[in-house]
Amino acid sequence: MGEILKTVNLTKNFGGLAAVEKVSFSIQEGDLQSIIGPNGAGKSTFFKLITGEIKASEGQIIFRDQDITALPQTAISHLGIAVSYQITNIFPFLTVFENVRVAAQSRKTTFNLWSKALSHRELVNQSLSILELIGLADLKDETAANLSHGDRKRLEIGIALATKPKLLLLDEPTAGLSPPETRQTIDLIKKISEGLTIILVEHKMKVVMEVSSKVTVLYYGSLLVQGTPEEIRNNEEVKRVYLGGVC
Amino acid sequence: MENQSWWRRLVTFISNYPLYFIFFFFIIFPFIVPYKALATQIIIWGLFALGFNICLGYTGMLSFGHAAYFGVGAYTTGVVLIRLWTNIWFGLFAALVMGGILALVLGFLCIKRKGIYFAMLTLAFAQLVYFVAFQWVDLTGGDNGLRNIPAVPLNLFGYSINIYSPLNFYFFVLFFVFLSLLAINLILQSPFGHVLQAVRENDQRARSCGYETTNVRWLAFVISGAISGLAGGLYALYLHFVGIETLYYSTSGQIIMMTLLGGMGSFIGPFIGAGVFLYLEDVLGNITQSWMIFLGVIFVLCVLFFPAGIWGTIRDISTREKKELPATSVP
Repeated sequence: MGEILKTVNLTKNFGGLAAVEKVSFSIQEGDLQSIIGPNGAGKSTFFKLITGEIKASEGQIIFRDQDITALPQTAISHLGIAVSYQITNIFPFLTVFENVRVAAQSRKTTFNLWSKALSHRELVNQSLSILELIGLADLKDETAANLSHGDRKRLEIGIALATKPKLLLLDEPTAGLSPPETRQTIDLIKKISEGLTIILVEHKMKVVMEVSSKVTVLYYGSLLVQGTPEEIRNNEEVKRVYLGGVC
Repeated sequence: MENQSWWRRLVTFISNYPLYFIFFFFIIFPFIVPYKALATQIIIWGLFALGFNICLGYTGMLSFGHAAYFGVGAYTTGVVLIRLWTNIWFGLFAALVMGGILALVLGFLCIKRKGIYFAMLTLAFAQLVYFVAFQWVDLTGGDNGLRNIPAVPLNLFGYSINIYSPLNFYFFVLFFVFLSLLAINLILQSPFGHVLQAVRENDQRARSCGYETTNVRWLAFVISGAISGLAGGLYALYLHFVGIETLYYSTSGQIIMMTLLGGMGSFIGPFIGAGVFLYLEDVLGNITQSWMIFLGVIFVLCVLFFPAGIWGTIRDISTREKKELPATSVP
């Protein structure tokens, strides 16, 4: 098991502001690491750099020994990096099933004009089993816009999973969820983390401490400290800038 | 109540099987309108609106320059029949291809922009095409239009058929409308058709799933241009003449009006829109010269009070119990 992703001095400047500054980060294949940090620390920007949605000002992103820093977003997606967004980003007026199915189809075909989409059984079955996994099988024919916030968050993960990623980036998957829903999502993350590398951005320390093997703290765009959840919890500097009253 | 449920069942049937309904309805259609030429006009413009709807309704691109593809299709058929080869099949095929090629070229230049910028670019290029046709008098007849398109008989398996009686011509056009409907239906149900709708719903998410959404929109634009070109070719045969205003931006506006009036994102909507528009034009035009004013008022009221269009509103009312959101389902 080698390194699946590595960033070297990754920097993103927006005008004069360094949203992400010289972040060197790496994650092993099959691992689950978390990134925490106060609002505006650059966590979401860091994700957008990895997925190619925005381009780095400096530094490098290496995915499985390949430099992907300058690759377009679609190419990075096809290499096997998927993201589940913080601000829910689904296909609102398609059915729940179609949301997942069309994502799964992205691995097979785009410009097929002659066959019927639903005749591709393997995609249909794959989508159904993902819906089963994220617990939305009963709602598969519902219009996605009608889902509750919690269900949408899980559909968001389902869309990401349907593209068969090797590396999954989860951006605050439990934001705004009730405690039972959070529990459900933690269990889901644990389940999918078998055989999948995950980077998790989270605010809820309980979630971070429970699932991750290593925690990275970002602060004003820079890497503040890295360590095991236990080390982070006891780190004085982290307590000062971030955890404060939370833990 | 009994009556209402009958009505509901009909609307549900049409929603679910729009093709069957269109097939049967359009066979009796010329016998229930005031005169047969109006029926022909309605299905030609309906076909154009259907092609336009691939852009607006299914992919979410508002093109303000579809007159270009319709008009170029019309001129192509006309010029081919006058100068090249008096073969109707080839004339219409050429219109389809030229509409597609023009959309391929202009689409390449417009497709990277979205929303209002896309609309303005398509409008600008369409006006460019208009002025080229206006100036190129030798080929297009310029301001006078392209006249004397020959009434070539149709060759079918060695038989020569006169298609220029109103009823024969209607069914000749209907044949192409059916073919186009079948093709579009196939495309919309294909994997590509599903991607189109994903792009309409959320372009950014589709890209993050790995779809090259620019190319997807581009191909949709080309298909839309080709269908519009075919409709233009039929229009040239119908009039034996192509007026320069076919390429003018008022034509682009008219097709947007028809599509919005009928309801976008369905098979039925564009035909209803074309039908209502042309029927009103016909009725109001007999009463007053300023029929456009009345049509404009009706259009404004429709957009204000029935934003889902006529068909969208009928469908919503009839399926209200099921709480379907507008424009959700495929056709």
